[in-house]
Amino acid sequence: MNIIEIKNLSHRFANGEIGIDDINLTIREGEFVVFAGMNGSGKTTLFRHLNGLLTPSGGSVILDGISVADDPKRARRMVGMVFQNADSQIVGETVYDDVAFGPENLGLEQAMIAQRVSEALHAVGLNAHADKRPHLLSGGEKRRLAIAGILAMGSRVLVFDEPFSNLDYPGICQVLKQIVSLHHAGHTILIATHDLEKVIFHAQRLIFMKDGNIIQDGAPDDNLKEAERFGVRTPCATHFGKEPISWLT
Amino acid sequence: MTTATTEINPADTLRMTVYASLSAALIAAGAYMAIPIGPVPIVLQNFFVMLTALLLAVRWGMGAIAVYLLAGVCGLPVFAGGMGGIGRLAGPTGGYLIGYLPMVLIIGLIVEKTDKRMIFDILAMILGTIILYTCGVTWLKTVTGMAWSEAFTLGMYPFLIGDAVKIAVAAPLARSLRPLIRQAETLKI
Amino acid sequence: MADVTAFSYLTGASALHKMDVRFKLASMILCSLTTVKTQFAGLFFLTLVLGIILLYIRFPLKTLIRELRYFSVLLLFVFIARSLSAPGLPFIKLGFVTVTYKGISDGALVCWRLLNIVFTGLIFVATTRPSTLKTAVEWWLKPVPFIPEQRVAVMISLMIRFMPVILEQARETADAQKARGVENRKNPFYRLKKIALPVLIRTFVTADELSVAMDARCYTEKRTSMKLTAGKNDWLILGGVILLCCLMVV
Repeated sequence: MNIIEIKNLSHRFANGEIGIDDINLTIREGEFVVFAGMNGSGKTTLFRHLNGLLTPSGGSVILDGISVADDPKRARRMVGMVFQNADSQIVGETVYDDVAFGPENLGLEQAMIAQRVSEALHAVGLNAHADKRPHLLSGGEKRRLAIAGILAMGSRVLVFDEPFSNLDYPGICQVLKQIVSLHHAGHTILIATHDLEKVIFHAQRLIFMKDGNIIQDGAPDDNLKEAERFGVRTPCATHFGKEPISWLT
Repeated sequence: MTTATTEINPADTLRMTVYASLSAALIAAGAYMAIPIGPVPIVLQNFFVMLTALLLAVRWGMGAIAVYLLAGVCGLPVFAGGMGGIGRLAGPTGGYLIGYLPMVLIIGLIVEKTDKRMIFDILAMILGTIILYTCGVTWLKTVTGMAWSEAFTLGMYPFLIGDAVKIAVAAPLARSLRPLIRQAETLKI
Repeated sequence: MADVTAFSYLTGASALHKMDVRFKLASMILCSLTTVKTQFAGLFFLTLVLGIILLYIRFPLKTLIRELRYFSVLLLFVFIARSLSAPGLPFIKLGFVTVTYKGISDGALVCWRLLNIVFTGLIFVATTRPSTLKTAVEWWLKPVPFIPEQRVAVMISLMIRFMPVILEQARETADAQKARGVENRKNPFYRLKKIALPVLIRTFVTADELSVAMDARCYTEKRTSMKLTAGKNDWLILGGVILLCCLMVV
C-alpha cells in the first residue's frame, strides 16, 4: 500500500528560485528510503511538503488517501519530522515536558499523555532522564529526544533531515540503532543526507536529488556506484568493490 | 535550507510568540553578559530591552518584558546577580526592572507611529532611557531614603556613558535586524 | 555556565515539595506582601518560622550564602543610606555625617523586611520544580481578562528552555572573538556591536527554526494543561499562612 503519493509537486520560493520541480514519487508503508544529494538539491524542501509546512506551487502530496492540503493537521500527526538542528526543535524545559508537547497540542487527556510520553521515552531509552533539562543531554540523546517527541504523537512516517550531523561516533550509533529499530517496528523511514556511509547498509531504496529533481531512484545495490556523479561521496566499501557494512556491527 | 525556512509561514501569532519568548530569554541572559570596558562595565541587559522594543514594538515587546518579570517574580534566576524573586522587585534596584515596561511602551509606540527612520529610533531610546531612570531613581530614593542628589549620583550618572554607547549601537543594529524579523504584517494587528 | 543556570531546586519530599504549586505561589506572594507592612516583632516571628522551614527542607548553608552574596551588598547599601538620611537624635557624629538612632532602626527595619522576602522566595524556589511553576502561573492568570494564559505558560517554558542556550552561544561568540584578539580593541562601540550582532542573529534564526518545529508538532493554544490537584494539606498550609500574615500586620 502506498502511504505517500507525490504528484507533479513543484515549489518556487518567493524570490523566484526553484526549490523542487515537478516531482513524482510513491512510497510504500514500511519502506526505508534514503534521499541523497548536495546541499540545496531540494531534499529539505521536499520533506517540508509532506506535513504541510510548505504549500506547493503546483501538484499535491497524498498521505494514505487524503491530500495534505485538505487536512494539514492530520499530515502533521502522521508525518513526524526530526530537524537538522535538534537544539532548536526541543521545546520543553525537561525531557518529559518536551515529549508531552505534541500530545498536549493534540488536546489529549492528561493520563493518555503520560502513557504516551512514557512509551515514547522507553522506545528511545531516555526514560531514566525524564526529569533532566534537555540542554544537559549529549548530542545523540538530544536527537533521540526529538525522535521521542514525534513518536508520542503517533506518527507513522518518520522523516529525518541530516540525522547524523554534529554527532560523535557513539551518538551516530545511538541514533542509527534507534532508526533501524523503529523501521523494524513498522514505521516508514525517510532520511535526507549527503553522507551515505552511515546509513546505506540499512536502506531499501536510494533516491538521488539534484537541482530540485529526482534523477535516480532504485535499490542501493544498483545505483550506489553512481553516487559521485550527483555530488555525493560513495561509501568506502563500495570504492573497494565490496558490499557496504553496517555501522552497528 | 535558509531559503526554505524563511519561506515557511507558521501562524503569525506562533512566530511572534516565539520571538517574544526568545527575546525574554535574551534579556535574562543579558543580565549575565557584560563588556568589561571602563570603570562601569557595560551590561547588555537594557541594551537587549531596547532592541526588543525596537524590533517587536508595543504588543509583543511588552509581552516579552512581562514574561521576563513574571518569571523573575516566581523566583527564576533571571535578574542580574542571580537571586530572583519578589525581593528583587521590592529591593533598591527594583525600579530599574519595573521601569522596563514603560520604557518598552514608549519606544514601541514611537516605532509604530513613525517610519522607522534611525533618528526616531534614537529619539525613542533616549525617551525610554529617561523613563527607565525616572522609575529606577525614584524607587531607589524611596527604598533607601536618600536625597535626590545622592540617588542620581549613585543610580544614574555612572551609567549614562554606557547608555549612550548602547543607544548608538542599537540604532544601526535594529536597522539590519528588522528584515530578519518580518514583522511588517504583524504590526497592523 | 552550570552555576548560572542551575535553578536552585532541591529534590526532596517534604510537605512543601508536595504542596500544590498554586497554593505555594499564593502563600509566597502573600507572605512577601505582608512583610512590607510588618514591624520588628512580626519580623522576628516570621524570620523564626522561615528559619525553621529552611532547616526543615535542609537548605544547604553554602547555597544560602552564595545566593545572598549579591543581595547582601544591596542590603548594606540600603542600611547605610537609611541611617545617614533620617533626621532625629544623633547616635554618632563623624565630621559632617550624622548617624541617627532613628536612621539605624529605619535601616534595620527595611533591610530585615527585604531579607525576609528573599528567604520566602528562596524557600519557594527550592521546593518548586520550575516546570510545574508555569502551570500555577497559568491557573492564576485564567480569571485575568485579556491575558492568554496558555500562551504565557508556553512563553515562560520557552524562556527557561532557551536562556542557557543563548548564554552558551554568547560565550562561544565571545571566545571566538577573544581568540582573534578582540580584547586589543578598546572602542566600546565596536565591542558592543561585534558581540551583539552575532548573538542576536543566532537568537532570531533559532526562533525561526523553533516556530517551524513547533508548527510541525501541531502547536495550538488550545492545549491540554497540566492538572494540579489540591489536597487537605494545601488548604491547611494556606490557612496557616493567612493567619500568620494577619498576626504580623497587627
